[in-house]
Amino acid sequence: MNRLVRFARVAARAPVLLAVTALFLMMVLTFFDVVLRSTVNTPIEAATELTRILMAITVFSALPVVSGRAGHITVDILDWAFARAAARWRDVVINLLTGAMLWWPAERVTVLAERARSYGDVTEYLGIPQFYIAWFIAAFTFATAIVLILRGVLLAFAPDLVRPADD
Amino acid sequence: MIEALAGFAAVLGLVFLRMPIAFAMGLVGMVGYMHLNSYRGAISMVGRLIIDTTQNYGLSVVPLFILMGLFVNKGGLSHELYRASHAFLGHFRGGLAMATICACAGFSAICGSSLATAATMSKVAMPQMRRFGYDDSLSTASIAAGGTLGILIPPSVILVIYGLLTETSIGKLFIAGIVPGLLGVLCYLAAVRFTVARRPAAGPAGDRTSWAGRGRALRDVWAVLLLFFLVIGGLYGVFDVWPLNLAFSPTEAAGMGAMGAFLVALARGTLTVRDTFEVLRETAFTTASLFTVLIGAWIFSNFVNLAGLPEGLRALVTDHAVSRETVMLLILLVYIVLGCVFESLSMLLLTVPIFFPLVIGLGYDPVWFGIIVVVVTEISLITPPVGLNVFVLRGVVPDVSTGTVFRGVTPFWIADIFRLALLVMVPWLALALPRSM
Repeated sequence: MNRLVRFARVAARAPVLLAVTALFLMMVLTFFDVVLRSTVNTPIEAATELTRILMAITVFSALPVVSGRAGHITVDILDWAFARAAARWRDVVINLLTGAMLWWPAERVTVLAERARSYGDVTEYLGIPQFYIAWFIAAFTFATAIVLILRGVLLAFAPDLVRPADD
Repeated sequence: MIEALAGFAAVLGLVFLRMPIAFAMGLVGMVGYMHLNSYRGAISMVGRLIIDTTQNYGLSVVPLFILMGLFVNKGGLSHELYRASHAFLGHFRGGLAMATICACAGFSAICGSSLATAATMSKVAMPQMRRFGYDDSLSTASIAAGGTLGILIPPSVILVIYGLLTETSIGKLFIAGIVPGLLGVLCYLAAVRFTVARRPAAGPAGDRTSWAGRGRALRDVWAVLLLFFLVIGGLYGVFDVWPLNLAFSPTEAAGMGAMGAFLVALARGTLTVRDTFEVLRETAFTTASLFTVLIGAWIFSNFVNLAGLPEGLRALVTDHAVSRETVMLLILLVYIVLGCVFESLSMLLLTVPIFFPLVIGLGYDPVWFGIIVVVVTEISLITPPVGLNVFVLRGVVPDVSTGTVFRGVTPFWIADIFRLALLVMVPWLALALPRSM
């Protein structure tokens, strides 16, 4: 069990690195797009679609990590009403439920990705196939679902291994 | 309409059970949509929303503005902002508290988050005020109240979320926030004066700074001022004249601001590679959770609209011949009451899908309503028992009791209510600038 948690922490580094890189590129890209457009009147034609792709990468690669760290926005005003044990089982149920509910949208995104592939949809300037992006989103939504379910299971059977919420 | 109300109750129930608000709204919205439409319809709507939201170009303003605030923070500019306002105001009675308010306003001009503003300024301003023998309740209250300016003075993350939820122009919302934000500064300064007039010992006067010293202090903050001018000026169209002909979209303004803040922090030598990584990582995490919340709110909002809540509420209003002013007053009351228990973003997400169509149907301006919602949200940040800014402060200065902070906050809270009333009665205050764009 311990090894699993350590593995998860190491494995979380790759998507974080991906998110950070995409975000940095997005900032640099927007900056140069504006500067080039205003000084030499040549905007980066593909800036808009690249920004879109970088956004999807930033958000979805960070999502499983945020979910694993319980970094989502929650309301905690009723926390006093739950005893420690009750709070733990409440979190078990909530984590399992949220993980399970993500399965349907993730499947649907897969279907949409496959449809984009069969239609041969590509982006406007660079001609990047749309289904790559949709596949990426689907894969990371599945990963988020798995992380949440694992978190629920760990909370139930080995609560000491779960890092407390960020807040 | 009954389905929508049941859905709302279900969201509240799940949220109180500590389900993340994004998933609670998403789940209830999805199930509700299924009930009213069909399984296929609901799941298609959700799938499309997920793909389209994350690839929406306009949404990239969210991470870019967050980046800008965090880079400025790492650049250590908060200290200099405080020093500059101290140089001008320190010799007044209560001057350090006033300097805190002004420094908060300056920091808000770069940072879009109230909690970040309060957390940052408490580290900078609190030790100074203690050194000069300021009363704890006045010092903490001025930080908590000043911090609320973070979400009104542009750029503001909350205004961005409101703009995205309601498809209102983010540029116009930002520009509309300027006058009410400055009005907030004036009201808070008056609240400080009121406090020291009643209890002179709460805020003794400090030393007067010479004009040379003031000039030096101002020189240190030019970077912040320049950055603000670049971003907000660009949005307003200040540079849209020959030979530049440059008008920024919100995304472009955010990109320029983020890169500008990055370069400033780099030039000061305070930013390491590790810091940069930390800033980017934190921004990515915040962005991911904000996007989840947005998708959830959109799913819920689609369900509520399908269930006919806007029409239902409107019919209720016309059937009972209630004037639109009464409706607005009731909505504001609901916000103030909800503000006592909900954190600002949650409150916005839960209420805007319900109130917005009604308010617009009654002929109110969407930009004006956005500003009003944010001002009410600001009030909630310092309202007991949940006032989040107060708790942020408690984290930084744990030896001050929550009761002490809330006691000090009372004059500021009253100043806020006064400002809210003014903005409701004179919509021109918020709308004059955006209308001239």
